[in-house]
Amino acid sequence: MGKTLFEKIWDAHIVVEKENGPSLIYIDRHLVHEVTSPQAFDGLRMNNRSVRRPDLTIATMDHNVPTNNRSLPILDQTSAVQIQTLEKNCKDFGIQLFDINSPNQGIVHVIGPQLGITLPGSTIVCGDSHTSTHGAFGALAFGIGTSEVEHVLASQTLWLEKPKPFEIIVEGKRKNPHAVTAKDIILSIIKNIGTSGGNGTVIEYRGEGIRDLSMEQRMTICNMSIEAGARAGLIAPDEKTFEYLRGRKYTPKNYESLVDYWRNSLKTDSDAKFEKNYTLHIDNIAPQVSWGTNPGMTCDVTESIPFPEDFSNGDQNQKKGAEQALEYMALKPGTPITEIKIDRVFIGSCTNARLEDLIEASKVVKGRKLSPHVRAMVVPGSQMVKKQAEELGLDKIFTDANFEWREAGCSMCLGMNPDILAPGERCASTSNRNFEGRQGTGGRTHLVSPVMAAAAAIEGHFVDVREMDLN
Amino acid sequence: MKGNVIKYERDNIDTDVIIPGQYLKVHDYAELALHAMEGLDPNFHSKVKEGDFILSGRNFGCGSSREHAPIALSHSGIKAVLALSFARIFYRNAVDGAFLLPIEIEEDAYSDISEGDEIDIDISTNEIKNLTKNKTYKMKPFSEIIGKIIEAGGLFKYKPD
Repeated sequence: MGKTLFEKIWDAHIVVEKENGPSLIYIDRHLVHEVTSPQAFDGLRMNNRSVRRPDLTIATMDHNVPTNNRSLPILDQTSAVQIQTLEKNCKDFGIQLFDINSPNQGIVHVIGPQLGITLPGSTIVCGDSHTSTHGAFGALAFGIGTSEVEHVLASQTLWLEKPKPFEIIVEGKRKNPHAVTAKDIILSIIKNIGTSGGNGTVIEYRGEGIRDLSMEQRMTICNMSIEAGARAGLIAPDEKTFEYLRGRKYTPKNYESLVDYWRNSLKTDSDAKFEKNYTLHIDNIAPQVSWGTNPGMTCDVTESIPFPEDFSNGDQNQKKGAEQALEYMALKPGTPITEIKIDRVFIGSCTNARLEDLIEASKVVKGRKLSPHVRAMVVPGSQMVKKQAEELGLDKIFTDANFEWREAGCSMCLGMNPDILAPGERCASTSNRNFEGRQGTGGRTHLVSPVMAAAAAIEGHFVDVREMDLN
Repeated sequence: MKGNVIKYERDNIDTDVIIPGQYLKVHDYAELALHAMEGLDPNFHSKVKEGDFILSGRNFGCGSSREHAPIALSHSGIKAVLALSFARIFYRNAVDGAFLLPIEIEEDAYSDISEGDEIDIDISTNEIKNLTKNKTYKMKPFSEIIGKIIEAGGLFKYKPD
């Protein structure tokens, strides 16, 4: 029987395999950031261990860093200490670090592909759940905890149980690809399969609707695989993948011969078997807006807030979850999504802060002004994205419309740096999680695409971006 | 292993409510424990006792890879989380650092066990005894590797055969 792409990558990385048991898997790339690594380095020191492959380990700082003026000192002392600790750890253990002043600094899942560190067919880990992003390149990429970070630093391997392959086919063509985006595809998938629908699996996204996407859009899809509970998500590499990585800073010297190999080997065999299957038809999907406190609580922009009993299909926990979510979100069932007013807009994060995201959002903003009662920030995913966007004049489009244009970092995705919501504030956010308190204690998050966030910023409430004139 | 149950009758308890993002800069585990479950239940710290268990629904620990989540629970005194299912990273984190036992249960235990019940978990027989209600439930057995890491006392103490 044939193998899935995931199984081929897995098999190629087995160091030790036990029948019906775990496998010791080799890790090709290890990305490190300031928040989940300090205890791992402490562990190495305590046990007198070194980093086995510093040359395969790359670090940056993204979670804690302020996104305002970089020439100012970091005021939050604990953040400053975490950042200094990463600097010291990288120096002591010989690891390449893109620090706060580096032109290559940025969100770890944005810079990996931009620098050509992310490669098809490789295994990539990072102490961050959104490592699944790199799966867009046909890599097996997943988030790990700090104990596993230490294990990879020490041994370049991990003991893993083999996940099951899950096929998600995205069929059809979007009628308006500028208004209905990759974010709307992945939110639709999570809405349908649920936040634990992918538990224990690695998703392979396939079909015309995936092949049509650019690399940056594919990253948005794979990024949110973890929100469906999957271990990882991946997409078979194609000519778009190979073109994206060609000539980047760390693209290997023998790149063209690697491409020949990848082209022939990195695909699921026609007779391979998946454990699970799901198909999404995208011809008629609408822009999505999350209304609750997990990414599965999402509906079309044209719909109204659901009644908990309708959302739950008779499941008591689901019903209770929806009731608790609506209470937290201060929303009433039956309210049209387009009547929800917002206070803040965040365009950023490892899900949606790449150049294309900012270009698409800028088309909505151009020549318009921010709604007077809304505060909006645009946070490029990396300093490279920021520079490219500025070369295109996007910063000017946003600032002319009264949006804030900031330095690269995770920013308001996760409420651990100065960019947070105040209690009760409601935010249209291009990030990946709408959990309670995620963007700051008491903050209320609605997950949307960059164009939907931009449109909401202009109008002061959610609007169907398909109805806006984007020329 | 005996203890009393703190029950959260809901699915998808995420790592952001187990330990909110602003505390990921905290390295003192005792201080982390002060903020455990703060995003969901601000009274958690005052009611939790050493040796307690948490009981919850599906997909417990979804979200971030922060090991701070099982650490905060563990240093609050929680010895095990019983749930209908777990998100994978939380599950491995709990076991890798020997912070607490992630125990997968069936619907019968979930619906039957109430807040405050005293239960006795025996991972050698995969049985959970409800001492308050005088009932017994099955837990799902650990896989081979998870069982061995637990037995060894964490990932770094685990030595493959």
